[in-house]
Amino acid sequence: MPTVAAFDPGLIARYDVNGPRYTSYPAAPQFHAGFGETQLRAAAHASNEDPIPRPLSVYVHVPFCLSPCFYCGCTRIITRDTGRSPIYLQRLHREIELIAPLFDRDRSVLQLHFGGGTPNFLDRSQMAELLETIAQHFSFSRDAHREFGIELDPRFCDADYVRELAPLGFNRVSVGIQDFDPEVQAAVNRIQSVAQTRAVLDAARESGFRSTSVDLIYGLPKQTLAGFARTLDEVIALEPDRVAAYAYAHLPQRFKAQRQIHAADLPDAAMRLRLLGLTVEKLTAAGYRYIGMDHFARADDELARAQDAGTLQRNFQGYSTHGGCDLIGLGMSAISHIGASYSQNAHDLPRYYAALDAGRLPVARGLALGEDDVIRADAIGLLMCQGRLDIAAFEARHSVDFQAYFATALRNLRKLARDDLVEIAPESLQVTARGRYLLRHIAMCFDAYLAREAAPAVRYSRAL
Amino acid sequence: MTQLHQSGKLPPHNPIADDGDAVHFCSTCAFGSVCLPAGLNKTALNDLHMLVEHVGPLHTGDHIFRSGERFGALYAVRAGMVKTRQIDDEGHEQVLGFHLPGEMIGLDAIHPAKYPCDAVALDTVYVCRFSFPALSTLAAKIPDVQQRLFDLLSADIGKSSRFSGDHTADERLAAFLLDLANRYAARGFAPNAYRLVMPRADIANYLRLAAETVSRVLRRFQDHGLIRVEGRELELADKPALQKLARHILRD
Repeated sequence: MPTVAAFDPGLIARYDVNGPRYTSYPAAPQFHAGFGETQLRAAAHASNEDPIPRPLSVYVHVPFCLSPCFYCGCTRIITRDTGRSPIYLQRLHREIELIAPLFDRDRSVLQLHFGGGTPNFLDRSQMAELLETIAQHFSFSRDAHREFGIELDPRFCDADYVRELAPLGFNRVSVGIQDFDPEVQAAVNRIQSVAQTRAVLDAARESGFRSTSVDLIYGLPKQTLAGFARTLDEVIALEPDRVAAYAYAHLPQRFKAQRQIHAADLPDAAMRLRLLGLTVEKLTAAGYRYIGMDHFARADDELARAQDAGTLQRNFQGYSTHGGCDLIGLGMSAISHIGASYSQNAHDLPRYYAALDAGRLPVARGLALGEDDVIRADAIGLLMCQGRLDIAAFEARHSVDFQAYFATALRNLRKLARDDLVEIAPESLQVTARGRYLLRHIAMCFDAYLAREAAPAVRYSRAL
Repeated sequence: MTQLHQSGKLPPHNPIADDGDAVHFCSTCAFGSVCLPAGLNKTALNDLHMLVEHVGPLHTGDHIFRSGERFGALYAVRAGMVKTRQIDDEGHEQVLGFHLPGEMIGLDAIHPAKYPCDAVALDTVYVCRFSFPALSTLAAKIPDVQQRLFDLLSADIGKSSRFSGDHTADERLAAFLLDLANRYAARGFAPNAYRLVMPRADIANYLRLAAETVSRVLRRFQDHGLIRVEGRELELADKPALQKLARHILRD
């Protein structure tokens, strides 16, 4: 694993461009309003027809947050009024009743994930009732490997709350940290102590949660190498199974909260790369493996094992061991990935509520993948997850002549090969150790939509 | 990347028999075997060709004929897959069969001159239409054509009873998968790998099993290394094991 010092300023300047994060291909800005309820129902119906239909992954979006973190680019609503929960839950129940019957009952839920917003905005009994509703309308898998995860904000939940989640079926917890440096915490309006964080993680482990994960963000205002090094030491001492270190995406024109952040306080591209390098260095020294993009896992974690076995997949939560699921997104702004389609629910509560009150699925936009999309998505997925693409196998799978089909992509990729990010051989493409820092750039070579965009800069965050 | 260019896209390896022309039948054609070995003279061959009409493309859900329609022609599948089915008075569907390129449909309509079932395209389908009055006239003139027609009728009678016996789900599915493989292989397509074009509900209906059972058995076959399934693509990985399971059904 090379250290950041291997990146010279010229190279950094060349790669300091904007681009998608490829949690999906095509990326979300390609979704359009022409994909609605009819198309979603057709996709769900078709997904039941495979000889062995894919199992299900259910994502539940809880949009409410008690306090605004200034860096946040998630779709959320800041409120202290917990009275809003029952109103939201009522619609969520309605959505479950509408969408669950579209999927054959023998397709069990292998993965359940609560994200936000702040899932722990819901109290314990609300959470229990919601799980009960989902269990009634879907079939929960009894597989020992099923993953039921929840994102928790340690500032607003205690050990008791966490302990009460285990009997509901949750076995994975993901805790937001971002940075423990007090100066950074003040600059992003998220004051959270190590003790608060430890209390949540300890409670989860005590009550039988199988996996703990924490989120960090690099590229935040006021971040320094020394401060982030201390944060990383504190994180390592918390002993999570996985660590996600996301690059901060500063898009103040899109995310209002980010206008509270002074651009002058933000680290530049070179510094961001050094922060990522430091993260890789410290975490690998502590026994974590760099899976790719934002993700680290202990060498014995399922994620690392899936990468070895070639079964690792990329999805909206980053990387996943259960890629072969159809994803059903529930709640405001939630994204679904059913068969060869993506779709997204209405982005605000009035529209989300209005659709459900009219008895309609609240899907607002989406995309049916064409043949070209499927082929490119496979290439991007292989390079981001396995770091390697076997050309003969790829050609056989998609009936393409790789060199001809990807002539443009390969021409772009050759520029990256000159910077030692990727090796292009007649039989394979191989991401180098250096290239793993720049997976987005490698993926961008295969993106047929980027060149057609007038100004990708407006829609996507910095890729470094 | 200025456009979504398809220049590197190779022709699909879907089974398609489109190698026929004015004097040659498609290699998979049900009547193809008639002309070559029989040494038909040019006039007879031309006559046979004259009564064939190419129809298509038909798309998923399109009907080739409907139950109750007056019988006027036999059809041979050229490409794609065709499902035949009946719908009873209560609206329940019963799948009668799946027909691959080179196979004939409509044989059971000769008497009483009405189609007894629907024939529905399961994907993009091309068929050849053989006008029956013209074909019977020709059969009267050319004994080989007549013989071929009898052969096809006879084979068609045996097929429908195959899955009606008292067999386990494992046996039924093994026989079903092998039967498809044999039929593809007989027509020169890959013998151990093919696409299961039909929805699982149709497979289940045809085999008189629940859809969940079909998937559960296939998953078990896969876990035991008998088959590999990816989406709709199927590969027979351990044919002897499948043959052992299917031996009571596929006796011939």
